[in-house]
Amino acid sequence: MRISELGEAARIAIEGLQANKLRSFLTTLGVVIGITFVILMGWFLNGLDAALESTVNLLGTDVMYVDKWSWSGGQNWRKTMARKDITYQQALEFCKKINTAEVSLPEARKWGGTIQVKNKNITGISIIGVPFSYANLPAGTISYGRFFSQFEDQYSTNSAVLGWNVATTLFPDGDAIGRNIKIGGRSFEVVGVIIKRGNMMMDFVDNQVIIPISTFFGIYGSIGRSVSIAVKAGKAELMDEVRSETTGLMRGIRNVAPGEEDDFSINETQTFRDEVQTLRLSTWGIGIGLTLLSFTVGIIGIMNIMFVSVTERTKEIGIRKSLGAKSSSILFQFLVEAASLCFVGALIAFIFCSALIFVIVQIIPQADFLTPYVPPQLLLIAALVSIFVGILAGMIPAIRASKMDPVEALRYES
Amino acid sequence: MNNNPLIHIQNISKVYEMGGEQVFALRDISLDIYPNEYVALMGPSGSGKSTLMNILGCLDTPSTGIYTFKGLDVNEMSDNDLADIRNREIGFVFQTFNLLPKATAAKNIELPLIYSGVSSAERKSRAIKVLQDVGLGERLTHKPNELSGGQRQRVAVARALVTNPSIILADEPTGNLDTKTGIEIMKLFRDLWLKGNTVILVTHEEDVARHAQRIIRIRDGKVESDEKNTASQYSQESE
Repeated sequence: MRISELGEAARIAIEGLQANKLRSFLTTLGVVIGITFVILMGWFLNGLDAALESTVNLLGTDVMYVDKWSWSGGQNWRKTMARKDITYQQALEFCKKINTAEVSLPEARKWGGTIQVKNKNITGISIIGVPFSYANLPAGTISYGRFFSQFEDQYSTNSAVLGWNVATTLFPDGDAIGRNIKIGGRSFEVVGVIIKRGNMMMDFVDNQVIIPISTFFGIYGSIGRSVSIAVKAGKAELMDEVRSETTGLMRGIRNVAPGEEDDFSINETQTFRDEVQTLRLSTWGIGIGLTLLSFTVGIIGIMNIMFVSVTERTKEIGIRKSLGAKSSSILFQFLVEAASLCFVGALIAFIFCSALIFVIVQIIPQADFLTPYVPPQLLLIAALVSIFVGILAGMIPAIRASKMDPVEALRYES
Repeated sequence: MNNNPLIHIQNISKVYEMGGEQVFALRDISLDIYPNEYVALMGPSGSGKSTLMNILGCLDTPSTGIYTFKGLDVNEMSDNDLADIRNREIGFVFQTFNLLPKATAAKNIELPLIYSGVSSAERKSRAIKVLQDVGLGERLTHKPNELSGGQRQRVAVARALVTNPSIILADEPTGNLDTKTGIEIMKLFRDLWLKGNTVILVTHEEDVARHAQRIIRIRDGKVESDEKNTASQYSQESE
C-alpha cells in the first residue's frame, strides 16, 4: 500500500460522505447507538471506579472494622442475627489489649436519628458516638473547626462534629461552628465539620453527626446496642498481622471455643472492591450485550450501503483498474470508506453523549460521582472501535469490489 | 525500426463459454507491434477487435497462445503484475472518455500516478504539463461536466500520457465526438505518434483507420489482412 493511495482513499471517502449526507447519517445510526453504549458504559465504569477509590480512601485501606455484621452480607442472615452484640466493655477490652494496631477505637451508631435547630427538624441522620481518637481515622478528617478534644470526650460534653450535608443543610450560610443543635432533646454545640466525602456508595457519611461516645450512651443507652471497633493498622502491609491478632483477641474476649466459627465479622475496604467488581461485571454484561446488538444492526446497515456503493461505482472501479489500481488498492479504498462512515458515527455519538452526560449530571444529584464530561480516553476507544466496526462491515463489499473483472466493470453502465 | 517487437502475440485464442457452448472471440491470432508504430485495429462490431484490445491492454488474458510484452510473458503474470503493466506501460483512451465525474481534470490525470506512488507535488506538475501538451492548460480545475466532448477526450489522452507509457491504446476515441472534433483528436494522436509514441487505434470506421500507418483488419476473430497503409495522409504529410 502506498501513501499516495491513502490520501486518495480518504479523499474519495469524504467525497462519498458529502455526496450522500442523509444516506450516510441513516446508515451510521446503528454505529452511533453502539458507540453511545460504549461511551456511556465506559463513563459509568469510570465514575464507579472513582467512587470506589474515594470510598476506599474514606475508610482507609489500612483500616478494618470489627462488627457483629458483615458488610458483604454474604453470610447466613439468621446465624448473624443470632450472634451476641459486641458490648462496649468488650470493645474497650479489645482496644486496651491490641498491640499491632496504630489506633483502635469503639464506635456506637444510631441510625435514623433526629436533630433540631430552632424549629427545623432533620430526620434520617445517623448519630455516632466515638472517642476523640476518631480524629486519627480518615473518616475523621475535619473541613473546618476541630474535632472534640480528649477532655470533652472524658467529661461527656455536648460537643458535636457535623457531616458535610448536615452542616450545609442546617447552616446554609456556611458557618456552623459555635451554633447549637438539639440531639435527643439535649443541646449540643457544633465544634467542627467533616470534609465532604460521600458518593454513591457512602452518601450516609455526609449525613451523620459525631458526638463523644460517653455522651452517646448517656442519650441512647448501651443495652441492646452492638458496638463496632475501628482498627487502624497504620500501613496496608500490616493488615494481615493486625487481622490475625484481632481475630485471636476477639475470640478470647467473646469466649469462642476452639473449632467454632467466629461470632463477629472483620470488615475491610476489600468488601467494597468486591461489590464494585460485581457491579462492574453486570454493567459490562448488559453494556456489551446492548453494544453488540447495535453494532450488529450497524454492521448490517453499513454492509448494505457499501454493497450499494460498490455497485454504483462499478464503472469507476473498472476505470481505476484500467489505470493500474491493484485489487488491494480497490479493497483499501472501500475499507477506508466504510471506516470513515463509522468514524463519523463515532463523532456523532461522542457529541450526543457529551450533551447527554452533561444533562444527566446536572439533573440527577446522585450522579455526582460521575464526571460531567466524556473521559478523553473513551474518545480514543470509541474512534478505534468505530474504525474496527467499519472495517468489519466493509470487508465483504470491499472484497467484492476488489475482485471485479476490469473488462466487465468498464462495460457497466449505470 | 527497432528489431524487438513491443508486443508479440502468437496463435492466441479467446474462448467464452456460453450456454455450454464454446464461442471463439479470437482464433489463432498472431501479430507483432514495434515501437513507434501507428496501428489501426479495424473490424465490424463483433469481430473480436475489442477482445483483442483488452488482451493487448492487459485487461484480459488469452485462453491459449503466447503474449509477450517487451519480452515478458504476460500469461505468466499475476493480477498485480498486470495492474503494474497497465499502470506503467499502457495508456488507455476510451470511446466514452471514462473520466471520474466528481474529480477535476487535474485529479483525473493524476490518478494513474497515485497508483504508481508518485508524490503529490510531482503528480501536480506532471498533470499540468500533459494538460498543456494536449492544449488544455487552462482547464485544470474543471470537472468533466464543465468540459465539451472534445475537451474531455483531451483530458483522457492527457491521463493516458502522464505515465509515459510504451503504448497508447485508443478504443474508438472519436466514436462519441462530432466529425470536426474527431478530426482534432485524430490530429492529436498523429502528433503523439510523430513525437515517438506507439499508438494502437481500435475502430470500425475507415475514415479513422486511414490515419494510421498500418491497418490490421479483424473479422470473425481472425486477422483478415495486415498491411501498411500507403495512403496514410499523415505519413505523406510528414514527409
